[in-house]
Amino acid sequence: MELRVIDKTDEELRMEVAGEDHTFMNVLKGALLETEGVAAATYDVNPEQSGGQTDPILSVKTEGGLDPLDAVAEASRRVQDMTADFYDAFEAAL
Amino acid sequence: MSYKCSRCKRDVELDEYGGVRCPYCGHRVLLKERARTVKEVDVE
Amino acid sequence: MTNEFDVEIIERDDRSALFVVRGLTPAFANGIRRAMVADVPTFSIDTVRFVENSSVMFDEMIGLRLGLVPLTTPLDDFEVGETVTLALDVEGPATAYSGDIETSVPEVVPADENIPIIELKENQRLEFEADAVLESGKVHAKQQGGVAVGYRHLQRIEVVGDAPEFDEQEPNILRGVIETEDGELVVTDEFDNDLTQRYPGKEVEVVDVPDTFVFDVETDGSFTVDELVLRAIESIDARAAELEEKVSV
Repeated sequence: MELRVIDKTDEELRMEVAGEDHTFMNVLKGALLETEGVAAATYDVNPEQSGGQTDPILSVKTEGGLDPLDAVAEASRRVQDMTADFYDAFEAAL
Repeated sequence: MSYKCSRCKRDVELDEYGGVRCPYCGHRVLLKERARTVKEVDVE
Repeated sequence: MTNEFDVEIIERDDRSALFVVRGLTPAFANGIRRAMVADVPTFSIDTVRFVENSSVMFDEMIGLRLGLVPLTTPLDDFEVGETVTLALDVEGPATAYSGDIETSVPEVVPADENIPIIELKENQRLEFEADAVLESGKVHAKQQGGVAVGYRHLQRIEVVGDAPEFDEQEPNILRGVIETEDGELVVTDEFDNDLTQRYPGKEVEVVDVPDTFVFDVETDGSFTVDELVLRAIESIDARAAELEEKVSV
């Protein structure tokens, strides 16, 4: 995973997340949208055949003074909580 | 290049001047045998 | 922030499982499914050195067949990219089976012993040495550990009344697992996948239960289903941890 920030202001962020695909980006987007202070979050990937951008670009817009990079950090934290809980729940069910 | 004569089954070495003909029996049908070296193949 | 997950395993053996998870977002459910298919690595033959192949098939065709033989994969002992050497030597008349493949590591062996590689006639012989590499399904489909992984919403059956008395009842086919009105989970095989068998003469309504998914997972034998699911979760977890670390710097 390699991060390349394309645009960054106090409440907007566009960042390329190289090496990732829908598997992780959609989970991350879902977690971002559940995060307090995030106004909008999406990502865009083009298929390899299109010849253009193939690594996903994450766009985040925040409100209420939250730094978008902090929002991404918080969302990743949220994903980790979710994976940890699911891991435990699945192991407990075995 | 090494071949095998399809009639007398002998190994035949051909050079670029001799033409396609078995030097032992004169037969003109020669078979190219699989090389005896190890061949490496990538699974794709 | 709490995630109340509830996992209930309906059917499970070494290579396949059916389980219901409550409290999952659709994004997370799909993330786990995709991780099971493409991100959990398995061993698969990648290069073959043919010493002798006098069979009727080309080296490349045999190579392709070898790549598709599932190999048991102890993920704790190997890193992605590591290789294991295998070898086979069979002389005709005989059929070369996956079980004839010998390996240098006793933990990495063909998951099935009865996969035919090629039938050899009199005077035909197949001898090779091969390298199996640990890679993820993203690289090549032969490296996939999860071969039939899917999920669907759990469906809840509500009895809304009686069916019109003289009408011929149409079959109402459902597959997987359903939830009855008292919250009981029933495998649809029990009533021949036909709701009219379970609720004869009743009018029923089928509704999706939100955030609840029925997973149907099957592996190729490289490892158990439990391992596949847990590793898939770990792979998402690892990426989230990496992102958090990189963003926080």
